[in-house]
Amino acid sequence: MRFVLRRLGFFVITLWAAVTVNFLIPRLMPGNPAVAMMARYRGHINPSALHAIEIALGVNTHQSLLSAYFSYLGNLARGNFGVSLTFFPDPVMQDVLKALPWTLALVGTTTIIAFALGTLIGLISGWKRGGKLDGVLPPLFVITSAFPYFWLAMLTIWLFSIKLGWAPQSGGYDVAGNGPSWTWSFAGEAVKYAMLPALTIIITAIGGWILTMRNNMISVLTEDYVRMARAKGLPPWRIMWTYAGRNAILPNLTGFAMSLGFVVSGAILVEYVFNYPGVGWMFLQSVENQDYALMQGLFLMIVVAVLTCILAADVATALLDPRTRDVR
Amino acid sequence: MSTPTIGAADERAAPEVAEPARIAAEIRHGRWGDIWRAISRNRKALVGVLLMLVFVVLAIFPGQIAPYNPSAEIFPPALGVSRQHLLGTTAYGQDIFSQVVWGTRLSLVIALAAGALATVLAVLVGVSAAYLGGVTDGVLSLITDVLLVIPIFPLVIVIAAYSKSSGLGTLVIVLGALGWSYGARQLRSQTLSLRTRDFLEAARVRGERPMYVVLFEILPTMTSLIVASFLGAALYAVLTAAGLQFIGLGDPNSQSWGTMLYWAENNEALGAGMPLWAIAPGVCVALLGASFALLNYAFDEISSPALRVRRLERKRLRPVPEPEPKSTPSERAEQPEGTVLSVQDLSVAYATDAGPVVAVDRVSFELGSREFLAIVGESGCGKSTLLYAIARLLGAPMAGEIIGGRVLFQGRDLVLLKDEELRSVRWRNLSVVMQSAMNALNPVLTVAEQMRDACEAHSKMSKAEIEARSREVLRLVSIDPVHLHSYPHQLSGGMRQRAMIAMALLFTPDLVIMDEPTSALDVVAQRSLMVQIKELQEQLGFAVIFVTHDMSLVSHFSDRLLVMYAAQIAELSPTEQLFTRPLHPYSRGLLDAFPSIHGEKLRLEGIPGSPPDLRQPPAGCRFAARCPLVEDRCTKTEVPLVAVNGSLVRCVRRGELAE
Repeated sequence: MRFVLRRLGFFVITLWAAVTVNFLIPRLMPGNPAVAMMARYRGHINPSALHAIEIALGVNTHQSLLSAYFSYLGNLARGNFGVSLTFFPDPVMQDVLKALPWTLALVGTTTIIAFALGTLIGLISGWKRGGKLDGVLPPLFVITSAFPYFWLAMLTIWLFSIKLGWAPQSGGYDVAGNGPSWTWSFAGEAVKYAMLPALTIIITAIGGWILTMRNNMISVLTEDYVRMARAKGLPPWRIMWTYAGRNAILPNLTGFAMSLGFVVSGAILVEYVFNYPGVGWMFLQSVENQDYALMQGLFLMIVVAVLTCILAADVATALLDPRTRDVR
Repeated sequence: MSTPTIGAADERAAPEVAEPARIAAEIRHGRWGDIWRAISRNRKALVGVLLMLVFVVLAIFPGQIAPYNPSAEIFPPALGVSRQHLLGTTAYGQDIFSQVVWGTRLSLVIALAAGALATVLAVLVGVSAAYLGGVTDGVLSLITDVLLVIPIFPLVIVIAAYSKSSGLGTLVIVLGALGWSYGARQLRSQTLSLRTRDFLEAARVRGERPMYVVLFEILPTMTSLIVASFLGAALYAVLTAAGLQFIGLGDPNSQSWGTMLYWAENNEALGAGMPLWAIAPGVCVALLGASFALLNYAFDEISSPALRVRRLERKRLRPVPEPEPKSTPSERAEQPEGTVLSVQDLSVAYATDAGPVVAVDRVSFELGSREFLAIVGESGCGKSTLLYAIARLLGAPMAGEIIGGRVLFQGRDLVLLKDEELRSVRWRNLSVVMQSAMNALNPVLTVAEQMRDACEAHSKMSKAEIEARSREVLRLVSIDPVHLHSYPHQLSGGMRQRAMIAMALLFTPDLVIMDEPTSALDVVAQRSLMVQIKELQEQLGFAVIFVTHDMSLVSHFSDRLLVMYAAQIAELSPTEQLFTRPLHPYSRGLLDAFPSIHGEKLRLEGIPGSPPDLRQPPAGCRFAARCPLVEDRCTKTEVPLVAVNGSLVRCVRRGELAE
C-alpha cells in the first residue's frame, strides 16, 4: 500500500513540475513571442477567456508572478486552458479531447505491442543465447532503434504507399468519406490508415525492449534460483517463464517508464509525417501556427499520458514482484 | 583484484566483478592497447568505430571531400544520380552529396557537445547524490526521477517555440541540460554500491578530502558506465536535433541533415519521385545513430563479460587428462554393490579469456548408500565445481564443461544422459541444497508454489496431496506449516535454509548434494541445522555429499572426508582417522587452521602461500610450493593417489606420515 502511495506522490510532484515549467517557460524567454500573437485574439473572444490565455502565456503585466501562478493553477484545475487559435473559437480542452482518442489508439496499442513483442523476443534470445535468433535480431534492432522515427515514417510511406500502394499515405481516415463515427466500417477504415504509422512505431520502439530484456535475462540466468530450478528437473518452459522470465521482466518494467518518453517523442513525429489527427500532430500544428495556448495544453496532456502509463507499469511491477508489495 | 585464477571461477560472482574493475584499472594505467584489442575482437564495436571514424573525417575535412558549395543553387533542380552528382540535386539545384558531407559537422558537434554536457551533469548529480546522501540525495534523486519521466522532446519543442534564437549554442545547452537524468540515475546507484567498498573506506581512514576520493577513487572505477552514459546521451542528441530541424525549429539555412530532411518534406520529395532527397540525409542520421548505439552495445559487452558467450576451446586444452594409473588393479568400470554414486576420473574445464582451465582433475570416489561424505578445501580448489559437475548443473554463469570421466548413479552414467532423461532423475532421486536460500529460492513465488512445481514435474499428485506433502516436509525440518504460503523474503534466514532442505526432501531422494548449506547462518544456527540434517539423514536414509570450507563443522557428522587441493583429491579418509592422523601435509595444515575446542591453547598455524595458478599447474605435487615437508622428488613427476591403511593419499612421503 505504501508503495502505491509513494508512487502516487511522485505522480503528483512530477505533474506539478511539468505545470510549473509550463508556466515559467514563456516568462523566462526574452521577447515573449506570445505578446504579438495576443493582438489577434482581441475583440474576438470574451474577456475571461482572454484573461486565462494571458495568464497562461505570461503576457499579463498587471499581475504579480505569484498571483498569476495561482490563477494559472486555478484555471488548470477547472480545465480552462484558454481558446485555440488554430481551431478558433474552440476551447483548447475540446481540441485536446478530440485528438486524444486517436493517439491513445495508435500510440497506446503500438507501445503495448512493441513492449510485449520486444520482451518476448528478448526473453527467447536471452534464453537461447548464442542461438540463431540471438545472433540476428538483437544486433539488427540495435541499428533500427537508432533510426529517426520520422525518417522511417517517410520510408514506409514511400515504399508501402507510393510504390506498392498497400496503404493510404496520410491522415487517420478518409476525409472524403462520411467522417468519424462509431461504426464497424469506420473502425476498419481507421485501422487501415493506422497500419503504416503503427508499423513505424513498432519497428523503432521494439529494439530497446529486446535489448534490455535480453540482457536482464542473461544476468537472471546466472542466478542461483535458476540453477535450483534446473536441479529440480522442472520442464524448460517453466524455468524460462516463471523462474528466469518473470524475474527478468521486473527491471524491464522500470525501463519501460524510462524509455516511454523516447517513444512518445517519436510518435509525435510519426503523427506529423502521416498527418495523423492525434495529439502529436496537433501539437506540432500549434507550434507552426504559434498557437501557444493549444501548445501548452497539449504538452500537459502528453505529460499526463506518459505519467499514467508509468503508473500502470508500477502497478504491474507490484503485481509481479511480491517484494515491492511488502517492503517499505 | 588479483589475476583471475580458477578460484575466481569457483566463487560464482567473482569473474563478473573482477573484469570491469580490471578494465578500469587498465584504462587508469594508460593501457589503451588492451582496450583497442578488446574492441577489435568485438565485431559490433569494430563496425561502430569504423562508422564513427568516417563521420569524424567528413566533419573535419568537408571542404576537401565535397565537390561543390553545398548551398550554391547553381545546377538544374531535381537531377537524378549521375557521376557529376553522386546523389543528385535538390529542388533548388544544390548538390546533395556536398550537402550531406557538410551536414556531418553540425550533427557531430551537437552529438558530442550535448553528450559531453549531459555526461558532466550526470556525473555531478549522480555521484554527489550518492556520496553526500541524506537530504541532498533525496532532492537530487527526485529531480532526476522527475526529469526522467517528463517527455523531453515535447519540452524541447515548447522551449524552441518560445525562444527566437534557435542557434547551435541554445540547442546544445537545452539537449545537454535535459538529457542527463538517465546517466545520473545509473551513476548514483553504482556509486552507492561502491561507497562501502574497502578501498573507499581506506581512503576515508587516510583522511582524504571528498573531492579527492570522488575524482581519483570513485570515477576511475566507473569509466565504463560514464562512457555508456555519454554514448547514450550523444545518440539521443543526434536524433532529437534531427527531429527538431526536421519540423523546422532549427535554423533553416544551416547545413545539417535534419534541415535537408525538412526541405525534402517541404518539397514533397516522396510525391515528387525524389526519394533520395529524404533517403540520403536520413541514412546519415541513422548511421551516425547506429554507430553510437553499436558502440554502446559493444561497450556493455566488453565491460560486463557475463553478456559475452565464451566457448571452451578444446584445442587449447592440454591433452585430455589420461585416467590416472590405478594403484589398486581392480577394474572399476561398473558401479559396485551398495554404492549410490560412483565418480570415475571426472574432469571439468572452464573457458576463460586466458584459455581453458581444468578445475576438476580426474576425481574418483565411491559413495555408499546412507553415507555422509564431506568435501573440504580452500575456496577455489574445485569442490563446488565437482559438486555441480556431479549434479550436471554446470553452465551459466560458469562456462564449465565436463571433459572426461563418468558419474554412475543408480547404474546410469549421468554425464551421458540427455537433458530429458536427466530431468526424470532429478529431485526424485537426486536433490540439491544450495549455499544461500535467499538466492536459491525464486523471489517471486511462494514456498508452496516452488514445492508444487517440483511435485508437478515428477508426479501425478493432486493439489491436495501436494499441499499435504509440502506441510509434511516443512514439519520435518521444524517449520510451522503456516509459513508454506509465504514468499522467501518473508522468512528468516534460518527458516529459508530449512525450507530449502524441506524442498529437497519432497521425494525422499537417495542422494542429497549440499553446497555449504549452513555458511549463511550464525554459529549456533549452523550447529542446530547440522544436527537436524544428520537426524534426517538417519531417519530417511539418504546419502549426502556435503561441501564446506569448514572442517570442524563436519567433524562429528561425516563418515568420510575428501580433501581437495588445486582441482585434485589430496586425501580421502574416514573422518575419525583424518582428524587423528592426517596423511597429507595439506590436511594437516587445514586441521591446524582450526581451533580445537577441547585441546590446549595453540597458535593457529594456517598455511602460508596460495594455491597454484591452474592455468599452468606445476609439474609435480601441486602442494609442493607450500609444503613444509617438500623434497626434491616432489617437484619432478606427478604424484599418484595411493591407498594407505584404508585411505587414499597423494603424497610421496605418505609412508613416513602414516607412521
